[in-house]
Amino acid sequence: MSGKYKTPLLDELEKGPWPSFVTEIKKAAKKSPMADDELGQLEKSYRTKRGYWKHGGIVGVLGYGGGVIGRYSSLPEEFPGIAHFHTVRINQTSGFFYTAEALKMICDIWDKYGSGLTNMHGSTGDLVLLGTTTENLEAIFAEYSSRGWDLGGSGSAMRTPSCCVGPGRCEWSNIDTLDITYTLTQEFQDELHRPAFPYKFKIKTAGCAVDCVAAIARADLSIIGTWKGNIQIDQAEVKKYADAGMNIQAEIVEMCPTNCMSYNGTLKINDAECSRCMHCIAKMTKALRSGKEKGATLLVGSKAPIVVGSLLSWVIVPFIKVDAPYTELKDMIRKMIGWWDDTAKPRERIGEVIEAEGMRSFLEAIGVPAQPQQVKEPRKDPFFFWEESDFQK
Amino acid sequence: METAELQEKIFAYMEKMKGKKKLKEKDVIKALAEETTEAPDAVKKALRGMIDVGRLMYSYGGGASSVEIPSEEYLREKGLIK
Repeated sequence: MSGKYKTPLLDELEKGPWPSFVTEIKKAAKKSPMADDELGQLEKSYRTKRGYWKHGGIVGVLGYGGGVIGRYSSLPEEFPGIAHFHTVRINQTSGFFYTAEALKMICDIWDKYGSGLTNMHGSTGDLVLLGTTTENLEAIFAEYSSRGWDLGGSGSAMRTPSCCVGPGRCEWSNIDTLDITYTLTQEFQDELHRPAFPYKFKIKTAGCAVDCVAAIARADLSIIGTWKGNIQIDQAEVKKYADAGMNIQAEIVEMCPTNCMSYNGTLKINDAECSRCMHCIAKMTKALRSGKEKGATLLVGSKAPIVVGSLLSWVIVPFIKVDAPYTELKDMIRKMIGWWDDTAKPRERIGEVIEAEGMRSFLEAIGVPAQPQQVKEPRKDPFFFWEESDFQK
Repeated sequence: METAELQEKIFAYMEKMKGKKKLKEKDVIKALAEETTEAPDAVKKALRGMIDVGRLMYSYGGGASSVEIPSEEYLREKGLIK
């Protein structure tokens, strides 16, 4: 079964000290004709410098509009094993925590019905299972769902929410990212599985501004843990860092983006000027802790550069309490989505719509006042559009 | 209006629009709510009922989703018809 194709170009990618996806596909090809044909087509693509995949169309499981992405080879006679090569997305666990038993079970089902190839994880966060046929889809869904798994999001839908490891492994997390993500996933089941939006909508939750889940570069809505009040300083631990050779002036004080720190044997922080970037806390983990009143900053609008250019998120709600059952957060998300859904053209992300319509329209719709923290960068043109009534006040 | 009757109207609308425009779920709900004066939520429920049994299906292209009448070939592949 394996080794049907000579792959001199792909073989080059097995050289060197790094893990190679080619090696992994070759392993899968020993028991999967799909993986073997996938190797053959990929080698041909490298040789001809052309892609041979078609994707889209009506492919999915009954009742769901997301979670399966139809993919077909444009050379089905030459590579019959991948005439159908659909992708299945499985909703990942919050923070990507799995038991070995769970992973083995996922892979065993995939070996039974698919190519055996996986991508752990896709950039949205889902477990991505690569390559199956249309006739296997309902059986795959039945097997996974009967064991407590569900499909993830795709298309014009709420995408599977994801988060950093949060309090599961990180004591600096300001919020329970795992619980927030699980709760939002349950709350927005209809939006996740029934694509009714103008385009995709991604939610990512990070426990602090270090943003290990890269929310501000990728998510339409970033929920970033933060705090109110002063950073807690243990001066004895600060001294230990200095005694151990840390150059606190250069590595901490001069790296502070708002210049709100000073050090002269004692570390001082002007908390009113602190932007909660986490640099000092992440560098001096034993000496510094975030303030005691926890919450989140909501940022909106990032995206990859598919239709227009790439965008980074910017602050919309500087501080919101995020305690279970997260009623205020859920209401805010529904307002954001509602405005976007009513305003956007097809395939426009929320960040693009805010740029087109102006921040005023968005802020009025979600009931958030204009605030200094929302200023992302100085602009020459008026991003916040004034109305005549504003000047009469 | 009975759900079955509303679903027939939805199906007729989908057939009329086939090949003319990719319809999002929202487009269908809006059009049928106007045509039948049924509440949008009633149209949505009827539409979802059709999607649940495979009479209509979600489709995907270029990153965006729409609702379509599935082809017989696809229904056969899925094992929904012989």
